[in-house]
Amino acid sequence: MTSLVRVLLSRLLTSFIVLIGVSMLIFFIARVIPGDPARIALGPNASPEQVLVLREALRLDESIIVQYGYFIADLARGDLGISLYTNRPVTTDIAQFLPATLELVFVAGLMMIFIGLPLGILAARYRGRWIDHTVRLISLLGVSAPSFVWAVILMMTFAFILPVFPIAGRISDSYTIPVASGFLFIDTLLAGNLRAFANAGWHIILPAFALALSGIGQAARLTRANMVETYDKPYIEMARSYGFPEKRIANRYAFRPSLIPSLTIIGLDFAAMLGNAFLVEAVFAWPGLSRYGVAVILRKDLNAIVGTVLIISAAFLIVNIIVDVLIAIINPRIRHSQRPK
Amino acid sequence: MNKFYTTLLAATMSATALGMVFPAVAIAESVLRIDEVAVGELDPAKASDYADSILMFNVYDTLILPQQGGPGQVPHLAKSWSSDGNSYTFELRDDVKFQSGNPMTAEDVVFSLDRMKALGQGLSFLFADVQSAEALGPNTVRFNLAQPYAPFVASLLRLPIVDKQTVMANLGDGEGEMKDWGQVYLSANGAGTGAYMVNAHNPQDETVMVKNGDYFIGVPDVAPHTVRLRYGLEAATVRALIASGEHDISSQWLPPEVLRALADDGAQLLTEAGTGAFYVKMNTTKAPFDDVHCRLAVTNAFDYGAAVKMIAVTDEISQGSPSTGAVPVGMFGANPADQILVRDMEAAKAHLSACAYAPEDINIELSWIAEVPLEERFALLMQANFAELGISSEIRKLPWALFTEQVSTPENTPDISQLFVNAVTGDPDTLLFGQYNSANAGTWQSPEYLKDDEVDRLLAEGRTAPTEAGRQEAYAALNARLMAIAPTIYGFDRQSVFAASNRVKVPALSDPDKAFGLDGMGFSFRLMEMTE
Repeated sequence: MTSLVRVLLSRLLTSFIVLIGVSMLIFFIARVIPGDPARIALGPNASPEQVLVLREALRLDESIIVQYGYFIADLARGDLGISLYTNRPVTTDIAQFLPATLELVFVAGLMMIFIGLPLGILAARYRGRWIDHTVRLISLLGVSAPSFVWAVILMMTFAFILPVFPIAGRISDSYTIPVASGFLFIDTLLAGNLRAFANAGWHIILPAFALALSGIGQAARLTRANMVETYDKPYIEMARSYGFPEKRIANRYAFRPSLIPSLTIIGLDFAAMLGNAFLVEAVFAWPGLSRYGVAVILRKDLNAIVGTVLIISAAFLIVNIIVDVLIAIINPRIRHSQRPK
Repeated sequence: MNKFYTTLLAATMSATALGMVFPAVAIAESVLRIDEVAVGELDPAKASDYADSILMFNVYDTLILPQQGGPGQVPHLAKSWSSDGNSYTFELRDDVKFQSGNPMTAEDVVFSLDRMKALGQGLSFLFADVQSAEALGPNTVRFNLAQPYAPFVASLLRLPIVDKQTVMANLGDGEGEMKDWGQVYLSANGAGTGAYMVNAHNPQDETVMVKNGDYFIGVPDVAPHTVRLRYGLEAATVRALIASGEHDISSQWLPPEVLRALADDGAQLLTEAGTGAFYVKMNTTKAPFDDVHCRLAVTNAFDYGAAVKMIAVTDEISQGSPSTGAVPVGMFGANPADQILVRDMEAAKAHLSACAYAPEDINIELSWIAEVPLEERFALLMQANFAELGISSEIRKLPWALFTEQVSTPENTPDISQLFVNAVTGDPDTLLFGQYNSANAGTWQSPEYLKDDEVDRLLAEGRTAPTEAGRQEAYAALNARLMAIAPTIYGFDRQSVFAASNRVKVPALSDPDKAFGLDGMGFSFRLMEMTE
């Protein structure tokens, strides 16, 4: 068994245990939040008899252990129950809302990688010069204001005052794209509609950028700090004394070792964006899972809360596994440390 | 690096340019874009809130409609009706077809009621006293009630008629003959006779509806061809969309400041009134509000004029109008519109001196619902008003979920709770019975825990009086009684205000003679006119 496979198996096992723990934790926490889920779901005009019937249907009068047992049995059949918020199976809701969030987070993640890392490299390479100061200022602005503030500022500036980008939504109303995967980029291509594909791309830029700004700032700052530290290492001095070009020193000898902490942070940010995207989704009317997650928590929709948290946790774990594997590929010391002694 | 940056820049520029080159193409048919809070419930047996009402009033039809510009109902799917007290018989039109093409018959009406009662959700409580419905013929249906219930006809405004054949052909998994009663199907599809058909439905994103060309009374050409009902838009987003001409009618939930800003930008303001009010409710089981004089003291000290000014959108339009009593102006039993309640500090002091509790010993808990930030302003207003009587108070923010739990016991119920209450059928029974009937004490509508035999008697009389004059008399007496024992400060009559672009004319929300006395009915798209 190779070291890489061992890393992967070890992470999968621990992730499975973490998921079981998360399911128990969120199941119990959701049930101790104040408020009767049946009353909230049925609305203010429902009679006590209606509330009682729904409580029975939801098995809320059973002990919490028994309820968890039913939940696990249903989960084994792939059934997460009915959402009291949308009155549909939770799995249907997740299937409908998750692709929008994944698409948004994926593009935001790409922005973090392709904008944040190069900015960090530039700042480190031109340390103390105007490029460095500018990057540090941008990074500071990015990390110091929450995403929703940027969302509103970007929307008002680039969609309302300067109407360059659309204000809201995933695609213009004039396009009707048959839903195949739920991912608009894929569905528009499957439909062979390049205009719609471009329109979807045009719609995603502002929300993804608002969501990514904090991560871009973090990635740039971390990359710069690590590269600055690496530049002071003796082997860089040696490379310079051999007369290697500065570009080669930056890309090959300074950037690669500095990438590991940045990659870890980007991985964590990427996963965290799945849960934190709700305000950006709200501002840009983005019909995603994150917004759905907040709505179901406010309405104490037990099945949907557990389902959403489980999905986001699973995504978080998957991203972390990918990051661990990437780091193991980049850093042989980590890879080989998994070998049996 | 230079190559990398050149490529990155080129890619970014290309993507942006591509998007800008291919913006939305021009739409040939008129599209109306409106918004409401999520979610949009499409199942008639589960629909209950404002967004759901908009869907129901357009995708489905009811046997009757509210009379425009006044109280009462007029026939719609029904041609006429008669009653012998405990039963109501309706003669149906024979020229109505569902959107599926199936003819609408008495069987569909019976099925719609049975389904509503079997699922027991949404507004099914309105039909608790209906024992059965039976088809006496293809176009005749009779409802049998357990006891006389005068508001029954108004309740039918909340019974959308469902296409039985379509539902039966689309039953999902479930037990018994009726399986899931078509819940899965009807949560995503329409099965009505309405003027608009569901084209796409995502309960958190939007519902797209298109004109039904075969509507039994026709849909005018000027009515919107397509309607996009968007859910859960933020106030800042709605403001930007309307100002940019990308949205037509806002929801009523925008803060007054945003509505004012939109009006300043040239948007028109539409209104809907007459079905609800803002009530400040006192817990009558605890000191000091177990003493009627203490209740009357704060009732007189409340600054009604300031409350209405706080929700003013412009000098002419407000999200509320001055209150005249427990019953909003326009309903049975309401006081005349010119008899508005005003602050009277002399009367307040006189009642306070007659109260069993000294003001210095009183410390009131003023609660407000966390999800309704406007209520915090009223809490602050009351704190200032009551302080002038020497009464101290503490303001407490309560999430809705916690509030509904706390009011289930009188000890945990706050001294003062603030609520917006609406009549779901436009009839005063659905506004007042839930609030003031003794049996309802401890529900969210009734944190007063009022136990008053006279109020109970008058509420029952309002339900059973055989004539409109009799009902008017009962509710007028009830109004007077509720003013005298003051379990509540009747803050103001609620008025919904919507900002709208000038692309659309909505007579039902702008002309009092065309207005319906029912929340959401003003959004009947077939009665709207697109001007572009």
